[in-house]
Amino acid sequence: MDIIPQLVANSIIAGAFYALIALGFNLIYGTTKFFNLTHGVIAAIGGYTVFFLTTTFGWNIYASAVVGVFVAGLVGYLLEKSLYKQLRKRKASQMVFLVASLGAFTALQAVIAIIFSSQFQTLSIGSWDLQTFNIFGGIITVVQLVTLVSAIVIMIVLGIVMRWTMFGKAVEAISDEEEVAKVVGIHTNKIIGRVFFIGSAIAGLAGILIGLDTGLEPTMGMGLLLKGVIASIIGGIGNVYGGVLGAFLLGFIENFGIWKISGEWKDAIAFGVLIIFLLFRPQGILRK
Amino acid sequence: MEYLIHLGILFTIYAGLAVSLNLIVGYTGLLSVTQAAFYGIGAYTTAILMTDHGVNFFLSILIGILVSGLVSLFIGWILSRFKDDYYALVSFGFNIIVYSIFLNWQSLTRGPLGIPGINKPELFGIDFSRNINFLILTVIIMAAIYGVCAFIVHSSFGRVLKAIREDEKAISIFGYNTSTYKLVIFVISASIAAVCGSLFASYITFIDPSTFSLNESIFILAMIILGGLANLRGSLLGALFLILLPEILRFVGFPTDVAAQMRELVYGLILVLLMLYRPQGILGEYKL
Amino acid sequence: MPILQTKKLTKKFGGISALNNLSIEFEAGKITGVIGPNGSGKSTLVNVLTGLLPITSGRIIIADSTSLKKIAAHEMPSFGITRTFQEVRLLEQMTVLDNILVVITKRNVIGALFEKHKTHYLKIAENVLERLGLWAKRGELAVNLSYGQRKLLEIARVLAMTEAESTDVKIFFFDEPFAGLFPEMVKLVVSVMKDLKQKGKTLVLIEHNMDLIRELSDKVIVMDSGELLAEGLPEEVLSRRDVIEAYLGE
Repeated sequence: MDIIPQLVANSIIAGAFYALIALGFNLIYGTTKFFNLTHGVIAAIGGYTVFFLTTTFGWNIYASAVVGVFVAGLVGYLLEKSLYKQLRKRKASQMVFLVASLGAFTALQAVIAIIFSSQFQTLSIGSWDLQTFNIFGGIITVVQLVTLVSAIVIMIVLGIVMRWTMFGKAVEAISDEEEVAKVVGIHTNKIIGRVFFIGSAIAGLAGILIGLDTGLEPTMGMGLLLKGVIASIIGGIGNVYGGVLGAFLLGFIENFGIWKISGEWKDAIAFGVLIIFLLFRPQGILRK
Repeated sequence: MEYLIHLGILFTIYAGLAVSLNLIVGYTGLLSVTQAAFYGIGAYTTAILMTDHGVNFFLSILIGILVSGLVSLFIGWILSRFKDDYYALVSFGFNIIVYSIFLNWQSLTRGPLGIPGINKPELFGIDFSRNINFLILTVIIMAAIYGVCAFIVHSSFGRVLKAIREDEKAISIFGYNTSTYKLVIFVISASIAAVCGSLFASYITFIDPSTFSLNESIFILAMIILGGLANLRGSLLGALFLILLPEILRFVGFPTDVAAQMRELVYGLILVLLMLYRPQGILGEYKL
Repeated sequence: MPILQTKKLTKKFGGISALNNLSIEFEAGKITGVIGPNGSGKSTLVNVLTGLLPITSGRIIIADSTSLKKIAAHEMPSFGITRTFQEVRLLEQMTVLDNILVVITKRNVIGALFEKHKTHYLKIAENVLERLGLWAKRGELAVNLSYGQRKLLEIARVLAMTEAESTDVKIFFFDEPFAGLFPEMVKLVVSVMKDLKQKGKTLVLIEHNMDLIRELSDKVIVMDSGELLAEGLPEEVLSRRDVIEAYLGE
């Protein structure tokens, strides 16, 4: 059997998941200019919210997913209001933001583990779980297809919003120079709050889809986050399309990289690629 | 009593890790999150040499220093091209790459199975398999490490490190080749971490990759930020507190696995609160 | 004899030339005043000559013997060059004393680790800080000093380099050292500069206050849009029409 079509399919699937993480991460980075490490754990919160609603209350998966996305967005929004906004007020350095978000990440991850235990959990969409499609010899599941479509739709919508709406222009202004944006009358905190909500909600969706695809673990956030960060940097940090491009590129490099060696090397390959990019093309493929 | 000796040994090992990391983060102002990689290199060197080749423990420490020194020379050379949050991110990456090697180079490290049956040393007829003797050994080595670090930070070299932290460009104009300084302190710090790893491997008698993951690096970082950046006594305090924390939590009545998660929760919250209210830590002399 | 020359020195930021084919000379043992409207390239000149910014094209010649197309910042003191900054750049979370000691001590790693001249260095630092009235503040962090004290600490720092064995500084760039100083502080800095000249040092002074330029400079260079507009004796140059217009035109 020819392995290439499946490798291509796996690359695209992995790329779609990374793209969902990168889209939200990149949106937040583009606006606030710091590595928001909590982004990964927020994806996990989205997934676990659905797990909680479906197992404890027997909710249906679609309603749970809507709530899960909302909860993830809300947690991101609250983190911004209770932590990052306060740090901005204190004119904290990037290092402080980084360490604070590392702390928040660790704490939230521990909370998930305390509530849901460190066990591996899975989500299900019933009979759809087993339904697959064969595309040019590559097998792809319903969840994976939904992920791919969501990533592309969200990218297009975000692209349009950033380019054509007042909100997009405000984000652009804050991204260029927050102080100036304030002076010209933009409510920077309000805009940044919304950015966190939207970015985190996208991460929540990613977490839910990953829960459906492979399952949930409290520690899933760090790996996801790092892939999102790497995708954003190699694609072009702060650029909506760049993050998605980087995500698919990373998916391909990882999956073809482990063609001949053990799959456990994926993370090492991903970081190897990141370091090579930072050394030789630090602005990424698409400059902002 | 045995229990206290156990905690004492763990404390001395972590104190060495914390003090050496403080040289990089607190004094030189580089947010390195890869200390566990060098800790692991020391541990694996000792484990492999002692179990497979019957090498003497003390010789294995020296070889561990050498291996860690060489690896850190390469990693430090690449890291020297970055600063601030990108420095942190790339150092994350190196921790993950080194961790992947521990996990996947199975012919050397036995991968996830780990290496059991590491011996405790004997010297001048003193049997270090008695924990009290091992404690004395670690205390002596720890005191030597502390002495070396104190000597460095109080020398003119230490003053230059702080100057690099404050304004690297300005201090280079006054005649300092700052990249050499950064590389030298990185290698020194990594070598010390390797010694701690050798001690750990011999004491626990079993190692596997999970001890040397990114989380461990974050844990050590939390120690020095809590205790205080650019203050060596602060690092001891931070190590002591975070070593005792899970014991306190267990004492209060949490079951062991919940206590482990509570530890993560508490140190995550500590990082967040410190960044908000006291970015230099308890005894610190440098604000991030 | 010129101790430092630039040959067709050009510095571009994007497409804009901050220095444009600039060829000038600084005489050994003299004070050269550099004036010109804001944005004329004065600070850029100092930043390029001290290795803070890379050269786009052209070269510099030091003491008629060394010709450089690329400047590594950390090598400049070994060519005898040091500077102060227009926007004060102190080592903020370090003490006043450490800010001085760090420019006196040995530059190589091994030397810095093992040297043993603490009392000797301390004596140099004490002399310099006494001179600028900062000895009492030696234990304070630089970040806690007043604006004027910060400016003085920058002066103290380059002065200390003349006393140290680890460096042999001959050329000093002062980038607007008087801006915002009280009159008595100005007097102090003027006396420091005169002493340096007395010792045979070469000084380059960027300054907007024409009275100080007249008082201190042996020669004046006028820059405009990154080019040399005029040079010569202070009284000649400062009365030229095109020079006055360049200033008034800003």
